[in-house]
Amino acid sequence: MKQISRRGVLLGSLAVPMLGMGRMAWAQAGEVTISHYFTGELGLKAFNEQVAKFTEATGIAMKESPVGHEDFKTDILVRAAGNSLPDVFSYWAGARVQFIVDSNALHPIDEMWAANGLDAVIAKPVADSATLYNGKRYLVPFNYHYAGMFYNVKVLADAGMTAPPATWDEFLALCETLKGKGVAPIALGSKNRWPAQFWFDYLLLRTAGPDYRAKLMAGEAKYSDPEVAATLAMWKDLFDKGCFVENANADDWTDASDKVARGEAAMTLMGTWITGYWNGNGLVPGQDYDFFEFPKVKDGVPNAVVGPVDGLVIAGNAANMEGAEKFLTFMVSDSGVQAAWANAQGALSANVNVDPASYNVVMQKAAATVAAAEAFAFNYDLATPPPVAEVGLSMFTRFIDDPSQAEAILTQVAADAEAAFKT
Amino acid sequence: MEQHNRFWRVVLLAAPLGVFGIFVLWPLFSSFYYSLTDWNGFDPNYSFVGFDNFAKIASDRLFLQAAINTAIWMVAAIVLPTTLGLALALLLDSRVLGARVFKSIFYLPICLSAVIVGQIWIWIYQADWGLLNTIITEVTGEKYKYAWLAKPDTALWSVIVAWSWQQTGLAMVIYLAGLTAIPGDLLEVCEIEGATPWQRFRRVVLPLLAPSTVVVVALSVINSLKGFDILYIMTGGGPFNSSDTLAMHMYNESFKKYLMGYGAAISVVLFLIAMAIIGLYFRQLRKVDRIYG
Repeated sequence: MKQISRRGVLLGSLAVPMLGMGRMAWAQAGEVTISHYFTGELGLKAFNEQVAKFTEATGIAMKESPVGHEDFKTDILVRAAGNSLPDVFSYWAGARVQFIVDSNALHPIDEMWAANGLDAVIAKPVADSATLYNGKRYLVPFNYHYAGMFYNVKVLADAGMTAPPATWDEFLALCETLKGKGVAPIALGSKNRWPAQFWFDYLLLRTAGPDYRAKLMAGEAKYSDPEVAATLAMWKDLFDKGCFVENANADDWTDASDKVARGEAAMTLMGTWITGYWNGNGLVPGQDYDFFEFPKVKDGVPNAVVGPVDGLVIAGNAANMEGAEKFLTFMVSDSGVQAAWANAQGALSANVNVDPASYNVVMQKAAATVAAAEAFAFNYDLATPPPVAEVGLSMFTRFIDDPSQAEAILTQVAADAEAAFKT
Repeated sequence: MEQHNRFWRVVLLAAPLGVFGIFVLWPLFSSFYYSLTDWNGFDPNYSFVGFDNFAKIASDRLFLQAAINTAIWMVAAIVLPTTLGLALALLLDSRVLGARVFKSIFYLPICLSAVIVGQIWIWIYQADWGLLNTIITEVTGEKYKYAWLAKPDTALWSVIVAWSWQQTGLAMVIYLAGLTAIPGDLLEVCEIEGATPWQRFRRVVLPLLAPSTVVVVALSVINSLKGFDILYIMTGGGPFNSSDTLAMHMYNESFKKYLMGYGAAISVVLFLIAMAIIGLYFRQLRKVDRIYG
C-alpha cells in the first residue's frame, strides 16, 4: 500500500479549507450560470422549460440557482459582496437596477441590443423606462406586471356590480354595499410589507399625479408635503370605514388572495402574478376572477398604471459574457418563449411579436389597460432607492397597524427618508 | 521523538486552524475593516469614513429600539428556559408516573431546527385559524383574539415564548444530570432535621445545582446571542422593526438597505457586547470552579 507522506498530509490539510476561498459556483466550460427568483408560485417549472428551449437551440448549458423571491434580495447582495455573482441574474427594473449600475456591477448590453435589433422587439415604453440607466442599456425585460383591483366575480355580482367603479365615490359605494352583505370589501396581506405599497402608489398617483410621485421617489419632494398627507388621509378613510380585512399585517399576499378566492373578501389590489397563482389553484379567468382599474380620484390627473418589470441582467464580471448575451437575447426575442413564460407566470410580455390572443381573457384586458394608460410607473420599492424604500415599506405597515397615527408617522418618515436619501 | 510529536501536532492542528482562520477570524477582521468604510456590497470602489458609522449608531433610533429588544430577549432567554427547565427537572426527578416519557417529550423541541420551531409557532399564533386564537375563541369568544405576531406589543414576546419552549428541554436535561449528583442521604438528613421542602430546595438543592446553573445560563446566553434564525422566520424583525434585535437590525441595514459598512459597524458593537458578556461568564465560571472544583 502506498504510504501517505507527511508533506502530503500537511498540504492536504491546508488545501481543504482553501477550497472554501474559491467562487461558490463552479461552472463547467461553456456553461452560463444564472440565479433567479422564479420559484414556487412564481413559476420554477415554467422557467426551467424556457431555459431548456434555450439549451436546445444553442447547445449552451445553464447552471441554475433559484432562490425564493424574498430571500433573493439578500442572496444576490451576498453573492455580489463575495465577488461571486452569477453570469446572469433576474432583477427588478427601476431603482434597484440603478443602484447596481451606479455600483459598476453590471455589464452594459447596448452592443448586444443593437446587434440583435431589440428596438424592433421590445415595446418602446417598457424599453425606455426599464432598460436605460445612465444613458446605457443594462437589462432586458423578461416580463412585466400590472397591479389592478382583482376581484371575485361571484361576490361582486352578488353585490349588484354591473360595471366596475370608475370614480372614487362609486368605489366607496361598492365597499358600503359589500359591507352590508357581510363581505369584507378589500383583502390586504401586508405581512411582507410590499403588498401595501400599491395602495400608497395608486392613491398618490391618482391625487398628486405621476410627476409629483416621480419627484417624491427621487428625493426632490418631501414626505412632509401636503400631497403625501392627503394620500394617507384617503387611505385612512378606507380603514375608518372598515373597508379592509382585519389584521392585514398578519397575512401575506397569498393569504389575501385566498380570502378573495374563497369569497371572504371581495377584492385585492395586487399584481397580475395573482392570475398565475389563482390559475394554479384551479380558478378560471374571467369566470371566477377578473379585475378593474384603480378608480379615478381627481379630474385632470393623468391615468397612470403601476407594476414591476422582471428583467435579466449580466454581471459586470461574468465569466461567460458571450453565452450570457446569447441567453438574454434568446429569452426576450423568442416569441414562443415569451408567450409561454408570460402565460405560465401570469405576466405580460414586452415582446411586441407576442400575440395578445395567446393571453387569457383577464390578461388580454390587463395588456389593453397598460397600453391605454398615460404613464407606467414602477411600484414604490422599485421606484425609490433601496434605503428609502425600507423606510417607506415600514411606514405602510405601521400606518396599517394604527391609521390614526398618520400624522406622527409622516413626521418620522420625512426625517428618516431625508437621511436615507443622503446615504 | 519530541520533534516528531511536535511535527504531528502542527499537522493535525493545521486543518482546524485553517478552517477557524478562514471561517471565523477572516470574517471577523473583515467586519472591523468594513465598519470603517461606506461599502454598499455591490461596488468594489468604496471610501474610508473613519468612525462615521459608529457615530451614526449613536443617533440611530432603530438601533436603540433593537438594543432594548436585545436586552429583553437576552434576559427573557436566560430567565424563562432556566426557571422552567429547573421546575421540570425537579418535577420529573421525583417519582412521577411516566417521567421517562415526559423527559423525552420535553427534550424533543431542542432536536428541531429553529426554522421548524418557528414555523410550528407561526401556525400556533396564526391570527385567523391558529391554535392559540382557536382556543381563545372557544373559551372567550372573538373578544380576545389577537394577531400575536403582527402587533408591535406582542411580536417580540411571542417569539420569546417559542424560543423558550425549545430551549427549556436543554436546561431540564442539564438540571436532571445535576440532581443525580446530589446525594440522597444528604436530603434525608435534612428531612430528619425538620427542614421543609422549600428549605431543602433553597438551602441545599439550589446551591448544589450551582455548577449546572452556570452551564445552563452560559448556554442560554450563547444561544440567545445566536438567536437570529427563529426571529427571522417568525417576524423578520417586524411589524415595523418592533421585534428587531441588534442582529436583525444589522441584517436589515446590510442586506435590505445595502449599507454594508454601517451593518459591519453594528456587528462590531454586537461583537463587543458578546465579548463583555462572555468575559463576565468566564469570571463567574472561575468563581464556581474555585468553590466546587
